[in-house]
Amino acid sequence: MNHRRNFLTHCGAGFGALALNAMLHNEADAANDGASDGVVQVLHHPAKAKRVVQLFMGGAASHIDLWDHKPMLEKHHGQASDFGEKVETFQDGLGPWMQSPFKFAPYGESGKMLSEVVAPLGEHVDDIAFIHNMVGKSGVHSQATYLQATGFQLPGFPGMGSWISYGLGSMNDNLPTFVVLPDHRGFASNGPKNWGSAFLPASAQGTAIFPQRDNPIEDLAAQASFVTRAGDSDGLSLLNRMNRRYQQEREGDSRLEARIRSYELAAAMQLSAPEALDISGESQATMKMYGLDRIGATYPAEINPAEEAEYFGRKCLIARRLLERGVRFVQIWSGNDNGFPRRNWDSHENIQRDHGPLARGMAVGIAALLKDLKQRGMLEDTIVLWTTEFGRMPSSQGGTGRDHNPYVFTNWLCGGGIQGGVTHGASDQWGYKPLDRSNPTQVYDIHATILHQLGIDHKRLTVRHNGIDRRLTDVHGHVIQEILS
Amino acid sequence: MMRKDIVVVAMVACGLTITGAITGTSARAEDVFQDRIAPILERRCIGCHNDREREGDFSLQSAKAAFDDGHIVPGEPAGSHLLDLITPQNGKAEMPKDAEALSVEEIQLIRDWIRDGAKWPADLRLEVAKVSDFDWWSYQPLKRPPVPVLNDAWANMTIDRFVLAKLNEKGLTPSPPADRRTLIRRLTYDLIGLPPTPEEVAAFAADTDPKAYEKLVQRLLKSERYGEHWARHWLDVAKYADSCGYDKDKLRPNAWPYRDYVIRSLNEDKPYSRFVQEQIAGDVLFPNDPDGIVGLGFIAAGPWDFIGHVEVSEAKIDGKVARNLDRDDMVSGAFNTFCSLTVQCARCHNHKFDPITQENYYGLQAVFSAVDRANRPFDADHQTARRRAELTGQLTALTAARQVIEDEITAAGGKELADATAAVVKLENSLTPSRPPEHGYHSQIASAQEVEKWVEVELPSETTIDRVVLHPCSDDFNGIGDGFGFPVRFKVEVVDQSGTRTLIRDQTEQDFANPGISEVACDVPQQKALRVRVTATKLASRANDYIFALAELRIFANGMNVAAGAAVKAADSIEAPIRWSMQNLVDGKWPRAGEPDAIEQLAAAKQKRDSLYQELASAPSQGSSVSRQDRIQSYSAQITKLESQLNELPRQASVYAAATNFPAQGNFKPTGGKPRDVFVLSRGEVTMPGSLAVPGVIPLSSDVPWQFSPELDEGQRRAKLAEWLVDHDNPFVWRSIVNRVWQYHFGEGIVATPNDFGRMGALPTHPELLDWLAVEFRDGGQSLKELHRMIVTSNTYQQSSADNPMNTAIDGGNQFLWRANRKRLSAEELRDSILTVSGAMNFEMGGPGYYLFALEKTGHSPHFEYHKFDPADKASHRRSIYRFIARSQPNPYMMTLDCADSSQSTPRRNETLTSLQALALLNNNFNLVMAEQFAARLERDNEELESQVRQAMALVTQRPANETEVEELVAYAETHGLPNLCRLLFNLSEFLFVD
Repeated sequence: MNHRRNFLTHCGAGFGALALNAMLHNEADAANDGASDGVVQVLHHPAKAKRVVQLFMGGAASHIDLWDHKPMLEKHHGQASDFGEKVETFQDGLGPWMQSPFKFAPYGESGKMLSEVVAPLGEHVDDIAFIHNMVGKSGVHSQATYLQATGFQLPGFPGMGSWISYGLGSMNDNLPTFVVLPDHRGFASNGPKNWGSAFLPASAQGTAIFPQRDNPIEDLAAQASFVTRAGDSDGLSLLNRMNRRYQQEREGDSRLEARIRSYELAAAMQLSAPEALDISGESQATMKMYGLDRIGATYPAEINPAEEAEYFGRKCLIARRLLERGVRFVQIWSGNDNGFPRRNWDSHENIQRDHGPLARGMAVGIAALLKDLKQRGMLEDTIVLWTTEFGRMPSSQGGTGRDHNPYVFTNWLCGGGIQGGVTHGASDQWGYKPLDRSNPTQVYDIHATILHQLGIDHKRLTVRHNGIDRRLTDVHGHVIQEILS
Repeated sequence: MMRKDIVVVAMVACGLTITGAITGTSARAEDVFQDRIAPILERRCIGCHNDREREGDFSLQSAKAAFDDGHIVPGEPAGSHLLDLITPQNGKAEMPKDAEALSVEEIQLIRDWIRDGAKWPADLRLEVAKVSDFDWWSYQPLKRPPVPVLNDAWANMTIDRFVLAKLNEKGLTPSPPADRRTLIRRLTYDLIGLPPTPEEVAAFAADTDPKAYEKLVQRLLKSERYGEHWARHWLDVAKYADSCGYDKDKLRPNAWPYRDYVIRSLNEDKPYSRFVQEQIAGDVLFPNDPDGIVGLGFIAAGPWDFIGHVEVSEAKIDGKVARNLDRDDMVSGAFNTFCSLTVQCARCHNHKFDPITQENYYGLQAVFSAVDRANRPFDADHQTARRRAELTGQLTALTAARQVIEDEITAAGGKELADATAAVVKLENSLTPSRPPEHGYHSQIASAQEVEKWVEVELPSETTIDRVVLHPCSDDFNGIGDGFGFPVRFKVEVVDQSGTRTLIRDQTEQDFANPGISEVACDVPQQKALRVRVTATKLASRANDYIFALAELRIFANGMNVAAGAAVKAADSIEAPIRWSMQNLVDGKWPRAGEPDAIEQLAAAKQKRDSLYQELASAPSQGSSVSRQDRIQSYSAQITKLESQLNELPRQASVYAAATNFPAQGNFKPTGGKPRDVFVLSRGEVTMPGSLAVPGVIPLSSDVPWQFSPELDEGQRRAKLAEWLVDHDNPFVWRSIVNRVWQYHFGEGIVATPNDFGRMGALPTHPELLDWLAVEFRDGGQSLKELHRMIVTSNTYQQSSADNPMNTAIDGGNQFLWRANRKRLSAEELRDSILTVSGAMNFEMGGPGYYLFALEKTGHSPHFEYHKFDPADKASHRRSIYRFIARSQPNPYMMTLDCADSSQSTPRRNETLTSLQALALLNNNFNLVMAEQFAARLERDNEELESQVRQAMALVTQRPANETEVEELVAYAETHGLPNLCRLLFNLSEFLFVD
């Protein structure tokens, strides 16, 4: 922390004049309050939301152990599973029916049943719309993660955050439009390809922030002994003069002007970003709420809830700070690559051991984020999406784990004009497939709904690439009217 | 920002064939159906509701099928359920499922048609809509167009005539030529991707030879830097990377020979048709040429899903999906690259805009259906390749000759021998495997693979032995299982009483495939032995380390195992009984395929079969006095000799390429060249296979056959495709390549969509020029260097990039080339320029990619930790084409500078100017380290600060600094030091842009 504050005074002042310039610009932009540099210059319809938080549980979080209560599994626990049809699973995990190792209880006025490991979210269920009939297309992590993140099973497509950045642009040039907070222990399947801009301009790519690194944003500060505050200050004004002369000799090329401005914006970002990431000024109560009241504690080697809460809570708190400062889209990841020991949701071996701590940590962080956004009046125009690449089977694998279930899983949405306390779509009695198999919900519908709330018709935000008018929702997608308030 | 492509909005309807459609405006009821209703049903319904698929148990293919189930009640719209299904409620109609609803007009038409009696001619069958209109510019035969006749000295060369004719037509005037400094800078970047040196600039500026420019062009085209620069363009399109992408993103340590092949081919100016053919079917068409194999790296260049192939079987849906998508990548790679056609649009449905059907598309998948992406051995040297081919040819012939005799024995043995053989097979199949807890011998763990380890058995006394048998271990550690610890290379030696050492098995020159738990036997007739030693020369990998393990060593004398319980010694050992112990090597326990009883029965059955066989083998073979056995032995001896000659050839290199033979890995198994069945997949779903696809190409007109014989083997299929691609009359290939080259010189293609010449692509701005270039290129030796020369020596190319408001008012985007386009350096050009001006660049060519990251956790999912890399590492001071490209975690610095994403074909890069880019150029460690090296260079070369500043500006901008600049820069460097000045210069717009 100390380092970062030093950095702020050290470098920031050097960039002072340039940064101020950019910030003044921004205030003017902010007054317009909306699509300043996006391609959607006029929204397709009035927007209900301006910002998005996407919470992605890498490795496939179990719907039936968190959100989708299945009394039938409790009743038939241990009995041979019978799906009534041939089932293909990733690792042939078709053991007996297995009840959740966690207890469920009702919450809120809606009486929504939640697992004990996500109990902190109980106070928010009346603001949440659950969708229990999500279906995927593949039980392979990589393809499935691509599908949920980008709408395509293949690599090479822009993530939802990139599309939204491309469409709506920035609300604050001092910070990236689309920020990603990866699990600092490693990337989930596909890594940064989940938030790459692909064929959209590089400005639409997600910017990964690693708050614990010396340079939380790639290249935010120079790390060399010869770099000084005064040197940067004088250097940038000299650079500015030289680039200005070059530009003035070349009429009619707006790119040269854009380059000059990009240095002003960079300077502003150097000033703003460390401040946005610095949580040292947060109150004790806030820190506690986000599970950050024991920073510096040592944790046991085994996965445990307190440690998970600290990691995820920190990302949630930083997300709130970024959203407050005008970041358009924040994507938070829980779960690293599918290795061992598990620090991700791919609980083939033991749901209780791994889902337990991960879920408690996740729930503490998200509950705090929702509460915080709400008390600041931001939840009403911020959509929060909880998602994962697929669900897990109601049958057991190796007695205590669960295999992949791409046939049904859960998403939930909150805020940004989403109706709370509702459940849309149901899974069958086991949580194996949608109850109504011919009318499932797909990622296209989720994406279409989010774009809709942002004032974008998902069919009209397109980019022609290699012969096809690409869009986030491919050729699919329906706005889920039933969950809109 | 993103340039807006010039796009022709295709009239969808004009491309659609309407079965049995009658043009005209007849109002007869049948005609209403044919003219108005059938097209709607064909476009929106038949894809699912046809006689074959009958989604919802309903077909609309014929009148009978459609009326039978009562969805349509003629004359009664209110009673027709069809109308309920297609009419939206709350903005969403039930049908068409998961797609846009029919328009209000379309629904009304259907309603009126039902009301009027739903007349549907009984013999009229509907078919899925497809485009069958070949009337599109890129499908037209390539003809040399007439060159415009102009009386203008500017239009000296043919290219200029075409361009000037267009400028005149549009009321535009060409720009004056650029000055010499600008020209040499532009040309050097365009041809070799690097800045010219100040000396080169000075020499060119002072060269009074009227051919000075032509000489410069020739010099640059001869430079090996040329291939390095242009290969980058090619690899962008081919999606080259050094890792697989997807989950786990496994490394591809043998991808680079393909990258080097592209560089070499361009430097050699290989004729384009050869270049194309090598990349599709080089192994078949040019069997003795190493480039024929290495070129196949093209097919394998794109991403590959490890989990979907290795962990999921081909029989599962997810496995099928992975393989379908994998072939899709191969097909689209080939057609986007060589033909500029988006065939992949026909994976789920007939192409909506171009005449490419699903049958065509899956026919292309059938061409690639036997190949996978894997390491493929090749001989880097022509002579070795030829020698290997010779020896392999002889080997095949001898093996076949031996087989003839074997067949003779089989025939002579009749039913008796067949039954005896069948009995053996049956017993083998009935075995139940066992895996005793006493695993065997296990060496200490080594951190390197090429460490020698040995274990030996000493017999109680010298014995004459005839057979040594090694039994591999089985251990599930790290998921390894059977063959655990079995050495990759090894030898077996026998030592007799006198100490004489005899090598009885030498597997030290070539890797030995994991034998699983099959025994590895060495027959040694009448060998005196006191000790038998097994030496591993290349260990088996375990986790991130290496070991040697063996379950049992048996030594036979007269059919008896004399090693049982004998003394065991080893270089080292892990003693962890009961699983691991040296003595386990001779304890009579090893993982085996069956119960000892069953194995005994099997042995008896084998003996019976063998004695029968022996009897038949002793008889003379047909038309010969020599016994069958002797002939077989004679062949075998020759075969052994050939095999050892093959073993003695220089070791083969390996390239990641299209392959049909490779060691299996989990569920990822080679086809051995047998094409997989490819089906025409309804909606692209592997769960809805239609008819078997017939391999072929795409039709160029409605009456030209496009299918190959389904009998063609896999190599022939690819060879046919390769030949079709480079056919003189192929209308796409020649236009495609000249357009790409044009684009890289001008920043914009004659067709602005280089991967798409279809109806969704852009139209050519200069169609005649495109055709003229294509014909000239095709018929003039297909030399890319000659094409460059033609382009860069034109007046069009040599224009200034300065603005001209009068022209801007007419053509602000410079479509018609009234000036040169100022361009920003690409990520690679910029990085290479920084290395060059700093004096750090090492121009060593080729070889494995250098890392720009710390590589961690390679055992599972490699972590590419860019922030832990020290850019002072000299190994990384090479041209950017040689860096290791991690597909799932692209280099953040390069990506910020708009480097290509290796997961998608990138025919043209985006050009953005962002604040993150400014931060990268100011603060990235690479720039900082290079700023210091640049400063050190300046100090080495000059005493005085002022000279240092002047040299710096000359290196960075290729022009002398003016006095204001010198004053400002000197003042800055005096206060803040030279490294800060150098860092600043890397941020000059003048450094990043080329006029």
